[in-house]
Amino acid sequence: MPLKKTHITLLAIMIPVLSVLSVSCRNENNGVGEGEAEEVLTVYSGRSESLIGPIIEQFGQVSGIKTQVKYGSTAEIAATLMEEGEKTPADIFIAQDPGGLGAVEDMLAPLPDAILSQVGPGFKPPDGKWVGLSGRARTVIYNTDKLSEADLPDDIWGFTDPKWNGRLGWAPANASFQAMVTAMIKLWGEEKTAEWLSGIQANNPKTYPNNSSIVLAAGSGEIDAGFVNHYYLYRSIAEKGEDFPARNYHPRAGGPGAVILVAGAGILESSRNKDAGEKFIKFMLSPVAQQYFTGQTYEYPVTDGVVTNRLLFPVSGINAPVISMKDMVDLEGTVGLLRKENIIP
Amino acid sequence: MPHPAARLNTGKSPERPVRPTGPGFFLYAVSIATALLIILPLAYLVLRAAGADGAVTELLWRPRTWEILKRSLVLAFSVTFLSTLISLPLAWALERTDLPFKRMWAVLTTVPIVIPSYVGGFVAVSALGPRGLLQQALEPLGVDRLPEIYGLSGAVMTLTLLRFPYMLIPVRASLANLDPSLEESSRSLGKGSLETFLKVILPQLRPAVAGGCLLTAMTALGDFGAVSLLRYETFTWAIYLEYQSVFDRTAAAALSLVLAALALGLLAMEGRTRAGASFYRMGHGKRPPLRPLNLGRWKVPALALFSLLALGSLLMPVFILLMWLVRGMAAGEHFPGLPAAMVNSLCISAAAAVIIMGAAFPIAYLSARSPGRLIYVLERVAYFGFALPGVVVALALVFFGIRFIGLLYQTHALLVAAYVILFLPVALGPLRAVLLQQSPRLEEAAYSLGRSQSYALTRVIIPLARPGILAGAALAFLVTMRELPATLILSPIGFRTLATSVWSASSEAFFARAAADSLVLIALSSVPMAILIIKERSRREV
Amino acid sequence: MKEALRMRGVTKRFGEVTAADGLSISVEKGTILSLLGSSGCGKTTALRLIAGFETPDEGVIEIGGRTVYGPGICVPPEKRRAGMVFQDYALFPHLSVSGNTAFGLDKGPRRSGRVREMLSLAGLDGLGSRMPHELSGGQQQRLALARAIAPGPGVLLLDEPFSNLDARLRVQIREEVRDILRRSGTAAVFVTHDRDEAFYMGDLVSVMDRGRLKQTDTPYDIYHSPDSRFVAEFMGTADFIPCKLADTLAVTVIGSLPAGGMNPGSKEGLEILVRPDDIVLTPSASGQGVIESGIFQGSSYLYRILLDSGETVHSLASHSRVLGTGTRVLVGFDPHYAPVFFRNGSRVR
Repeated sequence: MPLKKTHITLLAIMIPVLSVLSVSCRNENNGVGEGEAEEVLTVYSGRSESLIGPIIEQFGQVSGIKTQVKYGSTAEIAATLMEEGEKTPADIFIAQDPGGLGAVEDMLAPLPDAILSQVGPGFKPPDGKWVGLSGRARTVIYNTDKLSEADLPDDIWGFTDPKWNGRLGWAPANASFQAMVTAMIKLWGEEKTAEWLSGIQANNPKTYPNNSSIVLAAGSGEIDAGFVNHYYLYRSIAEKGEDFPARNYHPRAGGPGAVILVAGAGILESSRNKDAGEKFIKFMLSPVAQQYFTGQTYEYPVTDGVVTNRLLFPVSGINAPVISMKDMVDLEGTVGLLRKENIIP
Repeated sequence: MPHPAARLNTGKSPERPVRPTGPGFFLYAVSIATALLIILPLAYLVLRAAGADGAVTELLWRPRTWEILKRSLVLAFSVTFLSTLISLPLAWALERTDLPFKRMWAVLTTVPIVIPSYVGGFVAVSALGPRGLLQQALEPLGVDRLPEIYGLSGAVMTLTLLRFPYMLIPVRASLANLDPSLEESSRSLGKGSLETFLKVILPQLRPAVAGGCLLTAMTALGDFGAVSLLRYETFTWAIYLEYQSVFDRTAAAALSLVLAALALGLLAMEGRTRAGASFYRMGHGKRPPLRPLNLGRWKVPALALFSLLALGSLLMPVFILLMWLVRGMAAGEHFPGLPAAMVNSLCISAAAAVIIMGAAFPIAYLSARSPGRLIYVLERVAYFGFALPGVVVALALVFFGIRFIGLLYQTHALLVAAYVILFLPVALGPLRAVLLQQSPRLEEAAYSLGRSQSYALTRVIIPLARPGILAGAALAFLVTMRELPATLILSPIGFRTLATSVWSASSEAFFARAAADSLVLIALSSVPMAILIIKERSRREV
Repeated sequence: MKEALRMRGVTKRFGEVTAADGLSISVEKGTILSLLGSSGCGKTTALRLIAGFETPDEGVIEIGGRTVYGPGICVPPEKRRAGMVFQDYALFPHLSVSGNTAFGLDKGPRRSGRVREMLSLAGLDGLGSRMPHELSGGQQQRLALARAIAPGPGVLLLDEPFSNLDARLRVQIREEVRDILRRSGTAAVFVTHDRDEAFYMGDLVSVMDRGRLKQTDTPYDIYHSPDSRFVAEFMGTADFIPCKLADTLAVTVIGSLPAGGMNPGSKEGLEILVRPDDIVLTPSASGQGVIESGIFQGSSYLYRILLDSGETVHSLASHSRVLGTGTRVLVGFDPHYAPVFFRNGSRVR
């Protein structure tokens, strides 16, 4: 009978709508709440939940501070922060690469010395607005079935040699790659960087959207070598096994190809929970957290006294160039160069 | 006494009867409110782009920019063309022939739309890439290289297979409601099936096809995931780069405005196809189901075609996902948070589907019944959100939300508003097409019997528009299930959906986890679709 | 007594076209008015103006004594109490026969009784739970009617309702429909292009041409006493024979007739109207006409005769006597024929 059907349809409609509304109401308090009795720390993280979630949870347990995290890509989180402006509910911003932190620098509060002193000069900007939490080395991944380390050039300039034609892979849109190019401009100058870029271009590299696809491609033999961050390899090995036919190569002569980047965090100037924020960052720099970063995500610790994961190439062995984080945030120049060489749209 | 007519002759024509109270006004009010909501992102873009400096204008006028614009257009048109080519015979086979297992095919050909674009891209490379499954399978046969999956052909193929349901679903709904006497008279005049299809059925399907083309073209224009993995540089990629590499919202806004202008062009083209034809039945109230065409010896090829399509668009991706999943599970991976994400996805998508339908109906109804200037504009405006990248719409709502309705910021309400902006046309298309097929005489009959407009709507128009309503709601449900950028940005903190989980896992190369989430996403979407389609069929077979 | 429907000076223009030109119609309660005209004459527009689906540019419309359109007044269709039966019936396909019939009735204790009454009236007893597409054409027709009558409208508007039926069914159905209308006592406006239908259904017939009403009269008077050549020709085969007045006689090539005290004014350009049943034929070698053709119509023969003077007349003759083409005949008037005079296409009295 029509009557009953109408009622059922109405119910079917009301249930999801009501549930949505009720959850909305519940979350209202958490979203843009004023400082309530309970301390709530809001973290915007450009690092994914699978990577950083566990250690943040641990912080919550250890400190007793209720922590809620918004996850996204660094780009989207940064853009969101900028649109939110002063009214942002975020207290902490964690970025995957220095560029992201640089973009929102105006919104960050300078960190106290107690925090900044814990890391070396290569892991923080001079104005002290943010601090690195873990180290990420640029590296060359290569297919072990086809190449041995001896076949690889001393530094990444060597890959402009025509013999590498059709054998390379890169991800020019990737933030870490662009960070490397930024370092390259600083170390080699713009002209030589342009030459390197066009040299690689001339070798018809395969373009990938991100690092993990390059690693997969190297493993499958689709490419012989590619420019990535070091830790992806270990995750692939963990997933696919020791016989995954690819390995990292840290250019023995150093250069921009061996630069160590950082993922970092800063406290928002508009935050009302700066104390909790500082506790958060201190925790992330503590041995417990640093051990987590190296043990679980295969990154390099940024503080002293933490034992690096045995699987990783020891950081002392990497001929990493010294470069100030201040120089790492100038992306306009890098992107301009990449555009000029028609590498990115 | 002067002639009564002379006394009343005022010399000018009076206005149409306006219904100041009642749903006539209400319908207009809701339509205008919806249109204003959809304009918000445009307002945001104009605001942002206003801060443009010389560098931005230089960026816009670079020859490379125009080149990638051209590439975007080529992609959009190719995907649209192929989708149409596939969908028309498929819809006809599903609705008009005695194809076996129709319900199964109906479900299988709808579900691909729920596969997120980047998952589709991953799968395409994984299966058909230079070292992919197919190549490995064929290697013993001596096949060393496959045709290149990367570039335009791969992008077109992947996007077509993933998004052809945008065309298929409205065309099927329209076909189901077509007046059988038109086809019958065509056959009686000696026209065979193909000619009948081309000369009689196809013109009647014009609104559905035009709407489907619009959706497909816009979705191809705005796609990022698949095209980036398949390495076909498009305009949307340029926009994402601005956010990603330079964190330059101004440049991104300027580029997005160009995209919006493109969308305007597409809308104008689609608008031209709407010459004033009538699409409703003029026969009696009789609606006997048309006797299905016997396929005879075409049955096997038809089945083969359907199988191939289902394989490429759905079964193969599922197979590959299963493979990743199994591999991961064998390596000891676990999947926390999956049930929560599932429930969240279901609830928000169901709520969004309902609200999207509610917002779409007034516009569709007014557009089908009393198309005036205002309605035309409102209906066109509805498509703008669909053409814009999700990140732009989300940022617009962040901008306006946090400044003007702070309480609603980061609540589900705002997220659903984003879904309405992004996906309204998806519901609008099939709904409008089906409403156009209703004879206005039905509504007039209701009025002549003393019933008000709201009565006529609830008791006659809406029940008869059910196929369109269900099709629209189903589509809206599916596309919101897989939506990513807006969900990431606008969700209440801690609100994870299956789509965001997939992205999170795949961006860190945790493929087993991504596969698990994707499979659940696909399965969850298939179930309501299956129920819908089965119910729809059994109702019509009565 | 209040009329069921009154239109005064109703005009409607669509751009260049005037679909309704100063229409003035009156329908008494319980009577049926047939609006007769060829396609495009505006009769459907007239119905839609009454129903409220179109808005006039000028004029006044009153239903049951209540103004539904006039200066400052425009009542929406659902409040006019003007029931409508559409050409394609517009039955609600998703509602049963009972559901369709009950559609215009408010919920209440009397509703089901009224539905039963209507179904009975329309001869659809026992079919209440069927769906419209399960009914025959005639049944659908009657359902459309029952549905429209159920709410007790002030006037019923029927838009060429039989045009979808075959000839035999049409005759049967129109009897049933007229019967239903009489028994329900509803006033109605019945629109058609078929003269026989108009004559059968209507107590009064109005002939319409290009938005104007040419003549409104009883069927008998319209047929026998048309006001204009247009109406005359619309009513059936009509021939016009020139005639001259001589004292009290009208003289034509066919014969002379008493002019019947007519004062025609000018004697120039007079014609008389003759119908086929007014003409009698006798085969004769000295006749003034020759048979051009003969059409067998079952119960009679329709002959076309070419007069020596050049005009053409028609004659309806018994089927028992067949006159071949080319037969010379003497053409005469039927003894009961009374001349109807025309000049320049208009009736002269």
